Amino acid sequence: MSTRRDPLGLLALPGVAFLGLAFLAPLMLLLWSSIRGPDGFTLNGYWRVLGDEYYRGVILASLQLGLITTFGAFVLGYPAAFALARAKGYWQVVLFALIFLPLTVSIIVKSFGWGIILRRDGILNWLMLNLGLIERPVRMIFTEGALYAGMINVFLPFMVLPIYSVVRMMDARLPDAAATLGASPWYSFTRVTLPLSLPGIIAGSSLVFSLAVAAYVTPSLLMGDRYMTMSMVMAKAFLNLRDWQLGAAMAAVMLAVAAFIVVGASLLQRRVGGR
Amino acid sequence: MMHPPAGGHLAIEGISKRFGAAVVLEALSISVAKGEFVSLLGPSGCGKTTLLRCVAGLLLPDAGTIRVGGAEITRLPAHMRNVGVVFQNYALFPHLTVAANIAFGLRAQGTSKAAAAPRVAEALALVRMSEHANKPVTALSGGQQQRVAVARALVVRPSLLLLDEPFSALDRKLRETMQVELKHLLREVGITAIFVTHDQEEALVVSDRIAVMNAGRIEQLADPATLYQRPATLYALDFVGQSTRLSGRVLGMEDGVVVVQTALGVVRAPGSFAAGSPVVIAARPEAVSLAPADAPGVNRIAARVSEISFLGSRTQLHLALADEGDRGIAELPRLPDGVGPGSSVTLGFAVADTMLYPAA
Repeated sequence: MSTRRDPLGLLALPGVAFLGLAFLAPLMLLLWSSIRGPDGFTLNGYWRVLGDEYYRGVILASLQLGLITTFGAFVLGYPAAFALARAKGYWQVVLFALIFLPLTVSIIVKSFGWGIILRRDGILNWLMLNLGLIERPVRMIFTEGALYAGMINVFLPFMVLPIYSVVRMMDARLPDAAATLGASPWYSFTRVTLPLSLPGIIAGSSLVFSLAVAAYVTPSLLMGDRYMTMSMVMAKAFLNLRDWQLGAAMAAVMLAVAAFIVVGASLLQRRVGGR
Repeated sequence: MMHPPAGGHLAIEGISKRFGAAVVLEALSISVAKGEFVSLLGPSGCGKTTLLRCVAGLLLPDAGTIRVGGAEITRLPAHMRNVGVVFQNYALFPHLTVAANIAFGLRAQGTSKAAAAPRVAEALALVRMSEHANKPVTALSGGQQQRVAVARALVVRPSLLLLDEPFSALDRKLRETMQVELKHLLREVGITAIFVTHDQEEALVVSDRIAVMNAGRIEQLADPATLYQRPATLYALDFVGQSTRLSGRVLGMEDGVVVVQTALGVVRAPGSFAAGSPVVIAARPEAVSLAPADAPGVNRIAARVSEISFLGSRTQLHLALADEGDRGIAELPRLPDGVGPGSSVTLGFAVADTMLYPAA
């Protein structure tokens, strides 16, 4: 043996084996069923998904939902991550709890919660009626606004955590240094703070985007059939229609989207972090 | 009343700052001439870094005024002050190269890339870092990082340079080299510089004047030699250099000198104190000699040697003293034969070299 192999690499073996059994094998089966027709190999499933205006609309709607959720989570989560990283003592505990305790609540419970708040006889309508802000209940649930609010709520922690962990490692005196060199707060933010937090933004955004694109529970509970996402089409295809070819092809498309994001994000990450 | 501009290049008047109940700066005033190097020397928590942050514009004082070149800047935001800072551990921008770090201030102030380039090159040459221009700053050694931090601060031609413990991240050998190098460089540039440090040796090396700080106030502001030879207070005496110090009680005045009874006998010192006052007498180690001639004008104390420290170019004798606050230190070029731990020795120091303070 000429080179000594690092035995630490072997530590990944159990995890890799588990993923291989529990994830890769079923995935292969799924991909297999997406190209299997009654007469052997066929791309009919993909043709049905990509060639049909309705399903193309579903894919676009999922992507749009993912983008809006990611953007909303970023706008709310970026300042929150800074507050969390810079908070001291007791305040940090409180902020941590506020941002991460919701993770311990199931998505189903959270989505139902939004339903209770937003429905016709829900809390928000009751409140606005009694305050005299509106004269009759406003339709909020099953609107896109409600969907976005719910999605951002559910996925916000996944944006905050990666940004927080990057910001926490950032030297808090760098903006001071920029200011003493004559940099305005805006210049300092765009040239120092933002570039240095970019790895966290990329990680958080790709995480939230891939989770949001694949979301099933929140869209179905807050929108129902009105706003079909890829996951909802899959569920319908597998459970209701028993159309394995359609479901598997849709799953493959979603997988491609996710893979594109993960690979793209890590390439971007390398470019940003490699300097 | 109009304030006269004669307050020096940097004029700080009555600066106070408190954090909650803690008073960090208490009506502090100091004036620094153009081109002068002043050290703020004190232990951590004495307010020296707070004062620096107030001058840099990173902290707003509760009261008082700060002027640079006659113009008041007390409430001006940091980025409009043109006061340079070399931060502790340098705070270089880790995502930028050496050259981009140095160009940062120029670019932030609107200098075009083309106009900035020759000035960056000049600054790089000034700190002898030209060959490292395109390296990431994270690849530099501590001494190189310090040079980049200095170049980055100087390239925008600040009216004043503040340096916060600039040598604390360097190891001892490099620190001594960089102290001399930096002093030389800043002198060449002709800038006014304020050093913040807790290291008295560093302050002695780099400063024209040293402000010894204690609990938010300046105990003494003096040139290094005066500060060392004539510390104004016990605090300054203890903070800068070592000393023999004995507590005692004034017996009275005699021929214009104060006569003090200490645990090791009667000691005389120049000054004026009422009989019965509790006092501390002190002498610097190099003013103390072994086995002095029995002559008038020389204080003599006899004690046992507790320890000997060999320092290379000189040797220190430490005396065994009963009182806890008392210390006996003599510094000799070389140790005479037969003197060691346990030896009984007589030490002498001139009355003229003896310092006298009211007991704390």
